[in-house]
Amino acid sequence: MIAEPQMRARLRTPLFSSLLLAVVCAALCAASASAQSDAHATASAQHLTVSLLVPPRQLYPGQTFTAGLDFRLEPHWHVYWTNAGDSGEPPTIDWKLPPSITAGPMQFPAPARLPLGPLMDFGYENEVVFPIPIQVASDFHSARNPAVLSAHVGWLVCSAVCIPGKADLSLTRPALNAAPAAPSIDADAQSLIARFQNKLPQPLPAADSATFSTTPQGFVLDLRTNSSPSSAQFFPLDSTVVANAAPQPAHPLRNGIQLALTKDENIQGKPHQLNGVLELPSGAAYLIHATLTTAAGAPSLSLPLRQGGLAASALLAFLGGILLNLMPCVFPVLFIKGLALVQSSQQERHRLRAHGWVYTLGILISFWIVVAVLLILRAAGRQLGWGFQFQSPIFLALMAMLLFFLGLALAGQFEIGLSLTSAGGSLAQKHGYAGSFFTGVLAVIVATPCTAPFMGAAIGYALSHSPLVSFTVFTALALGLAIPYLLLAYFPGWARLLPKPGAWMEILKQAVAVPIFATVIWLVWVFTQVAGAAALMGLLAAFLLLAIAGWFFGRWPGRAIPRLAAAFVLIAAIVTSVWTVNTLGEPSPAQTASLVSDVTQGKIAPSAWQPFTPAALADARTHGHAVFVDFTASWCLSCQVNERLILDRADVERKLHDSGVTLLRADWTNQDPDITRALAALGRSGVPTYAIYPADPSAPPQVLPTVLTPGIVLDALKSLPQQNTASNPPSSTP
Amino acid sequence: MTHPRRTLPVLAAVLACTLAAFAVRVGTQAPNFTGTDTHGQTHTLSQYHGQYVVLEWTNNGCPFTRKHYESGNMQALQKKWTSRGVIWLTILSSAPGQQGYMTASDENAYMAREHAAPTAAILDPTGAIGHLYDAKTTPDMVVIDPNGKVIYEGAIDDHPTTDPADIPHSKNYVDAALSEAMDGQPIAVAYTRSYGCSVKYAGAE
Repeated sequence: MIAEPQMRARLRTPLFSSLLLAVVCAALCAASASAQSDAHATASAQHLTVSLLVPPRQLYPGQTFTAGLDFRLEPHWHVYWTNAGDSGEPPTIDWKLPPSITAGPMQFPAPARLPLGPLMDFGYENEVVFPIPIQVASDFHSARNPAVLSAHVGWLVCSAVCIPGKADLSLTRPALNAAPAAPSIDADAQSLIARFQNKLPQPLPAADSATFSTTPQGFVLDLRTNSSPSSAQFFPLDSTVVANAAPQPAHPLRNGIQLALTKDENIQGKPHQLNGVLELPSGAAYLIHATLTTAAGAPSLSLPLRQGGLAASALLAFLGGILLNLMPCVFPVLFIKGLALVQSSQQERHRLRAHGWVYTLGILISFWIVVAVLLILRAAGRQLGWGFQFQSPIFLALMAMLLFFLGLALAGQFEIGLSLTSAGGSLAQKHGYAGSFFTGVLAVIVATPCTAPFMGAAIGYALSHSPLVSFTVFTALALGLAIPYLLLAYFPGWARLLPKPGAWMEILKQAVAVPIFATVIWLVWVFTQVAGAAALMGLLAAFLLLAIAGWFFGRWPGRAIPRLAAAFVLIAAIVTSVWTVNTLGEPSPAQTASLVSDVTQGKIAPSAWQPFTPAALADARTHGHAVFVDFTASWCLSCQVNERLILDRADVERKLHDSGVTLLRADWTNQDPDITRALAALGRSGVPTYAIYPADPSAPPQVLPTVLTPGIVLDALKSLPQQNTASNPPSSTP
Repeated sequence: MTHPRRTLPVLAAVLACTLAAFAVRVGTQAPNFTGTDTHGQTHTLSQYHGQYVVLEWTNNGCPFTRKHYESGNMQALQKKWTSRGVIWLTILSSAPGQQGYMTASDENAYMAREHAAPTAAILDPTGAIGHLYDAKTTPDMVVIDPNGKVIYEGAIDDHPTTDPADIPHSKNYVDAALSEAMDGQPIAVAYTRSYGCSVKYAGAE
């Protein structure tokens, strides 16, 4: 504090005080200059020390050298690369240099990936030197001796929290008029700068090339070089092109490497160039400007598949569609169709073909309707996934009733062909086409529960992309489902391989009723879980009404009054089931969850499975536990199979327990937006899905195949890092 | 039946290995959420259907956030737009024990001291809303139109610094997006990289 009289005195004599200040200042500057002290070239700030490094001890005309800005950081604190990643900002430098001395831009050595929970920053820990090229022009002269090099430096230093800092650094060097005979160099500073110059990204050698292709998820970066690096990391220079935190799975090639990059969800437009730094395990880093190539140069099948390209997904969907024909829920339908084919094998060829196409059309249109409904509901903000229909008790009731009625017909209570449609010859052809169409529709309806386990990935991919992609994939799925019958229609020669029509057909038809009724039992079980036991009464009453209607059809086939009565009974059945669901049904997720856990508790000793919530997942990981999440639903048969046969197996169960992994069960029997979102984050839209989230929150979850084996589960557990290290702090703490 | 059944799951599993990020995409529907504010009031995004909604991620210990509060810039923006019927929800996604985590009463005291004027400040210590919107930094701004569509996401302005002196010559993207949207203009800048401190989610230390 300046005492008041003195202050007044100073105010009275401003000239004197200014003079005094100038003298003091000049003395200080002279002292520092004569000592050539670099004291001002270093500043200590919170969590770091920052220094200006200028290796030459003299400055002279025509000289070029590399200066450096050196940050020494406390452990776990970091400063940032030129693209800081998801948060943070790079350091800045603003030079004040004598005339004739110019500084180039600050150069950034290759950074490290610094994960922070779900985010990813790019920067440096411990120490970093940013090299800066300096040029002394030929007209530099020693008039102002010594030369003062100063810079205003700003930075953001972060660990868990961020602290901005700034400092004015300056140092002096004697100015010479010509290069000295033996220039003197600060060797320590020079070697320190050189160490980080070695980490600067280099231009790609002329013989090498970098290209990229686009995929629905992002990009495949393709580096061709004369070596085969095992891994690589890409640091994008543009901040809104690549999703920073996404893992970059590498695919080594004989002469290079491919990296799968995930695009920024909000990317604006399509980049024509990917600019960034590619760092190889050898430490070599290349500055690349990869150009877009349409020919992805796909050297292997595995990468495009892992990329989940549209073509691969469509192919997968097509193959899956063919497989669906063999599923227990679809095969009976196909079988009905096959019978029709045998019956019609005397018909002319073009009629057969037309039937095949109508059947295909039935499948296509019903798939399109389902996708359209799904997309519309999604656009309206509902969190839905594949199999969402099974979360609706009314849909379940109608499905169960449809299959029950079909089962009655197959078992011989009545004839579908005779009683439901006219036996008149003129209508036969029309009936045939309508029959083909609705057989297609029926195939889709009953195929839905079977699609989830096998088509999970393809459908998840389709639903997470543009409507066009969704429709393409579902169309491929539909064509796959239709193709076996379509082929039979086109090659009637193959149809002749089928046995001749006869009494065996009737027996087989009745036998097929058995799997149909089994499916009904399953649907009723699911319905009970979703809608409750009270609503079950209504559904069973509806079954009774269906049986009565079936009796009318079978007893008086083709007569008008019984058919009308039967139709009334049918409507009564539908109304009964819908009404009971709405009045008696009590869909409560809690109740369902407890039912499911009751069921599972029968086999697992004290159930280790906790209900899934995002908070429970985050909490377990925060406490250093890896988490195994079983995404399941009671309407998902393959989920139950996996749980009973694999997860509940004594050895698997023990291993799960011993591994210290937290077990969460995400029950999707009823709608749950949290679970839908968690599935979406895994790139899936249906169950079953099994995911292992490592304890390290930055590590990506591992998704297991939809069809589990004990080996798959045990291997996945084995591949986890040791749980006991959880007490250690995470290694790179940003 | 068995051979393709065996191979397909393998292919499917390979395909499933890609991890699709679930981020809010500009131009798509804003995901609905429910949160509790500092007065115990519940807010659901869908209840504000028909109104513009601004989401502002905050952390009062973050120097980037403080740049906008200590200069009065954020409060001015809040007052300007809430007076025109915009719903302004400040969201605190810092986990307990992390920088920026606030109890309801602390946050109320802070807002009173700073004369902050959002519609409400929502406490999100589990980070659920933050993760839902993939909020990366404080500040991180989201503008939602009356139809519930995200029309802007990203930085508050074009000067990613902690220096309040930059504010007068910064282009404020939130201000621009709201003005353009209300004038029926297309949004010139709909997505930017947000700048600031990382959101202090649980497990992110």
